[in-house]
Amino acid sequence: MEILKEVVAELVKMFVADARLSVAVLILVGAVALLLDVGHAAPLIGGAVLLGGCLAILAAVTAATARRR
Amino acid sequence: MDGMTWTVAAPAVGAAFTASVVEVVEAFTIVLAVATLRGWRPAVAGTAAALAVLALLVLGLGPLLGRVPLEALQLVIGVLLLLFGMGWLRKAVLRSAGVLALHDEEAAFAAETEALTEEGRRNPASLDWIAGLGAFKAVLLEGLEVIFIVIAVGAGRGMLGAAALGAAAACAAVLTVGAIVHKPLSKVPENTLKFGVGVMLSSFGVFWTGEGLGIEWPGADLALLVFAAVFLVAGAGLATLLRRPAGEAA
Repeated sequence: MEILKEVVAELVKMFVADARLSVAVLILVGAVALLLDVGHAAPLIGGAVLLGGCLAILAAVTAATARRR
Repeated sequence: MDGMTWTVAAPAVGAAFTASVVEVVEAFTIVLAVATLRGWRPAVAGTAAALAVLALLVLGLGPLLGRVPLEALQLVIGVLLLLFGMGWLRKAVLRSAGVLALHDEEAAFAAETEALTEEGRRNPASLDWIAGLGAFKAVLLEGLEVIFIVIAVGAGRGMLGAAALGAAAACAAVLTVGAIVHKPLSKVPENTLKFGVGVMLSSFGVFWTGEGLGIEWPGADLALLVFAAVFLVAGAGLATLLRRPAGEAA
């Protein structure tokens, strides 16, 4: 049972190493989906927002971690 | 396989190989610690049991992948890849900048040996069992990551076989080198590999997520290489910006 708990914890850690990064990515993907489906934006605009958003999130989260340490 | 397909196959195989090297080196360190302390019997038994569980998981869950609609599969895997890949890239940037300490296989080996020795003092009768369990956990956990990476980079374009081949080649390479040197593989440039894998997985993440959302990328598969270049430049730039003097790592 202990092993199962460790496996589940490790699986969660794989995708939620930094909670802020994970939440921000999920919000970004949701926002791009809304932009495309509800806002009827051109797909390439959605793609640019997705790529730019990922880079912005990476920079913000990494810099925030560096500042805290 | 035509030229365009190679633009996805090569990064897929490369990412699966490189990521698997990182994971297998980590698992090998623990298995070697177990073998050094208690002999190869519990180490091999634990490893074999973990590989059997992993094989059952692949055999059980693998066929289900074919039943998921491609767009949904691309979206789910794309998002998971973004979470996983950007997490690796973040950590690699922080290590490269000297904010986090580099992963040290010698230290991991010493820590596992010490933990097993301590456990042995408390429960001398069950040390073989505990040692085998240690090998089992290490191989299972690192193996799960390898399986995810193989599925993630291979499933979106039907390249599971190629990605699995990359992972198998990594296992063979690490085990061959490990059998020869017979000590923790501390010379493997783990953070550089992790940086590269983070770049590739994040690129695949943007690519699959976009395709899952209905975006047709200009240049089709070639967009992957552009994304990789963008993430590489961004990661290297961030590492330079955040760099700290040597010896200040947390």
